[in-house]
Amino acid sequence: MKVAVLIKQVPDTTARISIAGGSVDEGSISKWTISPYDEYALEAALKLQSESGAKVVAITLGPQRSSKSLIDAAAVGADELIHVLYEGTSGSLSLQGALAAAVRKSEADIVLAGKQAADTNSGSTAPGVAQMLGLPCVGLVSEVKAVDGNFVATRSTSSGMERVSVNGPCVFAFDKGDEELRRPNVRGIMMAKKKPIESLSPADLGVSMEDGGVNVESVGYPPEKPAGQTFQGAASASEVVTKLREEANVI
Amino acid sequence: MGYEALDFYDVDSLLTDEERMIRDVVRDWVDESVIPKIENACREGVFLDEWRQELGGMGILGAPLKGYGCPGLSYTAYGVICRELERGDSGIRSFASVQGSLAMYPIWDFGSEEQKEKYLPGMASGELIGCFGLTEPDYGSNPGDMVTKAEEDDDHYILNGAKMWITNGTIADLAVVWAKLDGVIRGFIVEKGDEGFSAPEMKGKHSLKASVTSELVFQDCKIPKDRILPGVKGLRGPFSCLNNARYGISWGAVGAAQSCFDSARSYAMSRIQFDHPIAAYQLVQNKLAWMLREITKAQLLAYHLGVKKDSGEWVPEHISLAKMNNVDIALEIARVARDIHGANGILDEYPVMRHMANLESVKTYEGTHDIHNLILGRHITGIQAFTREA
Repeated sequence: MKVAVLIKQVPDTTARISIAGGSVDEGSISKWTISPYDEYALEAALKLQSESGAKVVAITLGPQRSSKSLIDAAAVGADELIHVLYEGTSGSLSLQGALAAAVRKSEADIVLAGKQAADTNSGSTAPGVAQMLGLPCVGLVSEVKAVDGNFVATRSTSSGMERVSVNGPCVFAFDKGDEELRRPNVRGIMMAKKKPIESLSPADLGVSMEDGGVNVESVGYPPEKPAGQTFQGAASASEVVTKLREEANVI
Repeated sequence: MGYEALDFYDVDSLLTDEERMIRDVVRDWVDESVIPKIENACREGVFLDEWRQELGGMGILGAPLKGYGCPGLSYTAYGVICRELERGDSGIRSFASVQGSLAMYPIWDFGSEEQKEKYLPGMASGELIGCFGLTEPDYGSNPGDMVTKAEEDDDHYILNGAKMWITNGTIADLAVVWAKLDGVIRGFIVEKGDEGFSAPEMKGKHSLKASVTSELVFQDCKIPKDRILPGVKGLRGPFSCLNNARYGISWGAVGAAQSCFDSARSYAMSRIQFDHPIAAYQLVQNKLAWMLREITKAQLLAYHLGVKKDSGEWVPEHISLAKMNNVDIALEIARVARDIHGANGILDEYPVMRHMANLESVKTYEGTHDIHNLILGRHITGIQAFTREA
């Protein structure tokens, strides 16, 4: 069994983001990391590796710097690494097409990915890749296990936990999983150095990045928060309670 | 507000990719597993057993040793690990220093093949804890006059004497003990549970409170003959261990200083007095600039010493300079950081006073500040000034 994990390198949540000319100024970002939901997907893949003997292939798409996220994945145990090397920007359809082609090339049986990336928040990659591969997609899962030739996923629904069984290849989109991505150890880090990264251009995969589909027009800062309200003295207590109940909805 | 490691000259850009990855793993671990728990551990005076397991799990114990399940990293990587651990707490770094440089190293360098295979894999994984018995109640800077002795008795050695200020002693599964056999200092491996061996914990410390410090007591302690370290005689044995541990301390002190600087800078930026952040006042800026200056120099000293350790082109005096200087400035930085924090600096809400108290120990152990000056004095003049005798 082979499990592909789609990994996106995103700015660390502690990094300061600045915007120039309607897009994020990537040069000003000091720290990049694997998108958190992708980390849950990777941890689930590593469990399939240890419990069911699966091979884990980590796939990323992005500029040269994003190979670091593959090395990080190798350090925790990913067996194969594929980097779709693309320095430009493109619409979501092209990106999904390139990722789907990389999955096909990897000959993976199932695909695990985060439900959305921490930077763009679009949530379109997993279902988009599933559609291009002609596979079903199960969203918002927290766990995937191999059981008697099927894949059983756990999802939380508004009424409780749901167990979903899939009897063939599938794309699973991860919500917050049950376990955080394991910490690499030194041995893993030193082994990761030796693991080859298969670097492919979209052209190598026979994919054009021209036909983007959905494109981000521009990004901007969120509106500034209105100034806080100050209350003084015991006499204001009833007003504060009213506001907490009716405006903030917290009591 | 997360921790921002001061690295004014971008010294870490000189590290390899792997060294930086190891740094990030240890730094994240300190953020997640040390910082939230350290103050409580200090109040209770305990070293958490989960720290032992997790340090072993990360595979960083005995960092620069090769083979027998050891990590086989560069000395530079070992230094980086010490720096990140001590950013959390000197007690955590002390655990790793003693385990790696003082207990694993002598077995690795001077032990028999059987001893290496028996102890090193378990010590690298953290399953076995080691300690190092050199200092005695009456012999600290002058270990050559130690009174602990070993005598042959048929197929055993019998140890008698006592060691003091032994990090990890009470929790250790084995102790590397230095004792005189026919007047010559030799290393012996004593295991927990050996007849006549006990390791009571020393209580009442105002420093390194999250680290276990013990006495080792040997009363007709009987150990098999195969527990002697065959590969070394004389003070060269313990001194080679100390060289490695002191090297790690020169990096560790930088971590403690970085932690104090980070806290002081962030406090100065947010503390308002006379309508402005205190960081806007010249006296505070002067202190912060001095801290940055000394940390940057210490970083360069530690890094270059790491390069020399890795190339093998070093002498013990190089280590003396770095240990002495870096701990000295770290302690002074902790004090100035406490000053910038005002009264808040004495609370355990901030790390500065804990670092300050820890660094008082670090200044004294592994060769006191003054002894390192004397080592350098001898190097400069060719005249030893440790004793009054020629």
